Amino acid sequence: MAPTWKVPNRSRTHASPLNQHSSSIVDVVAAVGVVLVGGRSSRMGSPKSDLEWHGSTLLRRTTAVVARAVEGPVLVVRAAGQLLPELGPGVTVHDDTREGRGPLQGIAVALAAAADRADVAFVCSTDMPFLHVAFVRAVLRALTEDVDVALPVTRGYPQPLAAAYRTSLAPLADKLVAADRLRPAFLFDECRVTRLDDAALRADPLVAALDPALDSVVNLNEPADYEQARSLPPPEITVQCFGVLAGQGGRGPRTVRAATLAEAAAAVSLRLGQHVLAALNGDQVTRDGHLPLLTGDTVAFISADAGG
Amino acid sequence: MPGGYFGRALIVDLDDGSSSTLELADDVLRRYLGGSGLGTWLMHRLAPRGVDPLAPEAPLAFVFSPLVGTPLTTSAKFAVVAKSPLTGMLNDALASSHFAIAGKLTGHDAIVVRGRCARPSALLIDGDGARLVDAEAEWGLPAAEAEALLCARLGRGWRVASVGPAGERGVHYATVSHDGRHAGRGGLGAVMGTKNLKAVAVRACTKVASADPAAVMGAAKDLRERSFGPATAKYRELGTLANLLAFNAINTLPTRNFTAATFAGAPKLGAEDLAELRGVARNSCASCTIGCEHIYATKNGKKVRVEYENVFALGPMCGVSDPDEVLTASARCDELGLDTISTGGTVAWAMECAERGLIDAPWLRFGDGGALLRAINEIGAGVGLGALLALGSRRAAEMVGGGSERFAPHVKGLELPGYEPRTLQAMALGLAVNARGADHNRSGAYEADLSGDLDRLSGGQRHVLAAVETEDRAAIMDSMILCKFLRGVFTEPFDEWAGLLSPVTGWDVDGEELRATARRIVLAKRMFNLREGWVPADDWLPARLLEEPLEVGSGRVARLSPDRLRAMIDGYYEARGLDSSGRPGAAASEDLALMTDGERVTFRS
Repeated sequence: MAPTWKVPNRSRTHASPLNQHSSSIVDVVAAVGVVLVGGRSSRMGSPKSDLEWHGSTLLRRTTAVVARAVEGPVLVVRAAGQLLPELGPGVTVHDDTREGRGPLQGIAVALAAAADRADVAFVCSTDMPFLHVAFVRAVLRALTEDVDVALPVTRGYPQPLAAAYRTSLAPLADKLVAADRLRPAFLFDECRVTRLDDAALRADPLVAALDPALDSVVNLNEPADYEQARSLPPPEITVQCFGVLAGQGGRGPRTVRAATLAEAAAAVSLRLGQHVLAALNGDQVTRDGHLPLLTGDTVAFISADAGG
Repeated sequence: MPGGYFGRALIVDLDDGSSSTLELADDVLRRYLGGSGLGTWLMHRLAPRGVDPLAPEAPLAFVFSPLVGTPLTTSAKFAVVAKSPLTGMLNDALASSHFAIAGKLTGHDAIVVRGRCARPSALLIDGDGARLVDAEAEWGLPAAEAEALLCARLGRGWRVASVGPAGERGVHYATVSHDGRHAGRGGLGAVMGTKNLKAVAVRACTKVASADPAAVMGAAKDLRERSFGPATAKYRELGTLANLLAFNAINTLPTRNFTAATFAGAPKLGAEDLAELRGVARNSCASCTIGCEHIYATKNGKKVRVEYENVFALGPMCGVSDPDEVLTASARCDELGLDTISTGGTVAWAMECAERGLIDAPWLRFGDGGALLRAINEIGAGVGLGALLALGSRRAAEMVGGGSERFAPHVKGLELPGYEPRTLQAMALGLAVNARGADHNRSGAYEADLSGDLDRLSGGQRHVLAAVETEDRAAIMDSMILCKFLRGVFTEPFDEWAGLLSPVTGWDVDGEELRATARRIVLAKRMFNLREGWVPADDWLPARLLEEPLEVGSGRVARLSPDRLRAMIDGYYEARGLDSSGRPGAAASEDLALMTDGERVTFRS
């Protein structure tokens, strides 16, 4: 007698509920992130990269946000010899030896540095305190195969320092700089550019939900800009504590305002350390209290002995 | 003789009840310590090459350790060791409590049985020696009931390890149980049950001395105090089930046979709420100050020991979210004597096969707790689909075919525990290369993944070193033996463990020696497997885990490519001093001292 589990006819099929459980894969883009810090910050009066930001620095925040959006490494391009504050793990520093040649020079150095790491780079400046991962990803996704630059045009202005570039543009950018054609617009004249206006950017549902005013492109030029930005309330995030950390009424998701992981921990009376860890949006487990948080983030606090 | 040892193993021939002793030289004890390590040495020494794990001549060892009987917290543990019917390779499974103490105080560092009883029997060992008694009355009973009945029959002082009905029927992942705790993995209950051996009963008849009792007392006091600290809080307060919601939040909770890493029904199964609704008691093993056991009750009042692994395997892995259905299934596994991880993994595989139309079981669907319970009952009874599923997912997939091999959730035949390899890539390596198969107790590499010190989605050389380190630590903890729930209290573990072992044994042992001991034990297990037919393809993961990426909440995609896994395995081999095909060189085998009747154990390359 045949075993009872056998299917009589292998061609027989059942409608599989498995499909109900499959999820579409939305990848973090395989790109390099580049943060330019070499400007003179003359109007600000002090290096923008050093500006304090919720217990950390503006540069630390910007590099960490970009790192969350790209699959590749994050490069910081500075003026040769420029002193930088402490950077997060995995961030590498490149020197721009031709100081004072403007943003296209920085872009040229950035693309050249990134060329052996990825075909695509997101390039931004350090002074963008509200840059959101959703915005970076939306710009990167706009860099389709038939395009060389995805250029946001928001609040009435093109944003070359919040744009995505093909790293193969490095020689062209270099050539333009050598010819003293120092404005990014000269580069855009000679390559394929897709311009992303406010509506195009907001067509991305995550941008619409998490950065509807497109504050990602806000940059800081003067002390008053910084003071105003710093005075705004931190982003609204969701926090959940697990296991023994969920004791004393700490169960379930809670909404708090916090700009960094350390602030989020403090909001629920925890301190990151030997016995308390956190995972941001289900990703890496970390004790890095400086990790910047963005609107819409979810933080899970877990005890360090997670595991059997 | 070093303190903490008797220097001998009792060998019992179940064919006729006769027994003999095997002298254990100081050198062997120092090289292999006890528990898992000494059990490995015994298998090299006593298991015939190529033996069928369920054949009478296959040995089954209950192995104690030098720390058993000391006041050191969590030391009342024993290892059950044999060649596994599930994997065909070396298998060691640990359990705890009074059986360890009474068994060792029969005057033996290990008790080995081989042969087969003519009828259902129990083996008694005490000061009067070893003898077999009839166990017809206990045969067919759940292990806990058999244990209680036998204890009542034998009188005071006896401690019993028993198999349930699944072991009697040779289910390939049947457990050996004592006091409700299971030496769970690898089917050692089947090895015991097919010998017609329902139970082993032991009664203490002697004492064992430590080399420096005052120093041992001092170390025990210190360790006890440390065991009350934050490093063990999770186990005391919620138990390992506290993992479930945390793992769900960080995309490491295997769900519906590894088709997802988060489970929408997880909140209903989390310890945080369930402990209040269903928790009824907390227990400790003998000689333990942690007290990790959390007893829950089902709606109908049935009591169940709840841990993360049984809830994961019978809950998310099978898509079941009703806590009563999960707890009932877990209680049924306990009654039958089934490893919950292998049960859940095998049933989840069968659910997927049924949904894909590969097996004719339209009643079996993900998320159906009634179907889960029916499958468990059929496994225990050996009827219907149960006859197939009793073989485990690897063998069953080989028989069913149709591509089901690629989603059979096992390594070397042992079903995967509740750690998602794609989002825990140090653990992925640990699961792939470990001698026992996919196992979280012999490789604790998930600790590195969850430490915050490395990228758990992108395995590389640092993950390799973490996998080696945690495997070495497990080898020592499983051989001394100390409960792994203590591991968080040690800051320099090898040095601190040497500090515990020295006053017990009198050996001038240090952390470096224990590191060498760990490497030796890991290698000895690998060599046993080589001897029994291991091939490089056995160090690998199921195809699904290498072909299907997972999205995590951040938008990143967790991919574990075959190339990445291959690179980590190559790195592991190099770190272990193995050649590129995973085999040790001659110098490594010299250190093992695995002599068998005058012949040095070797392996075929």
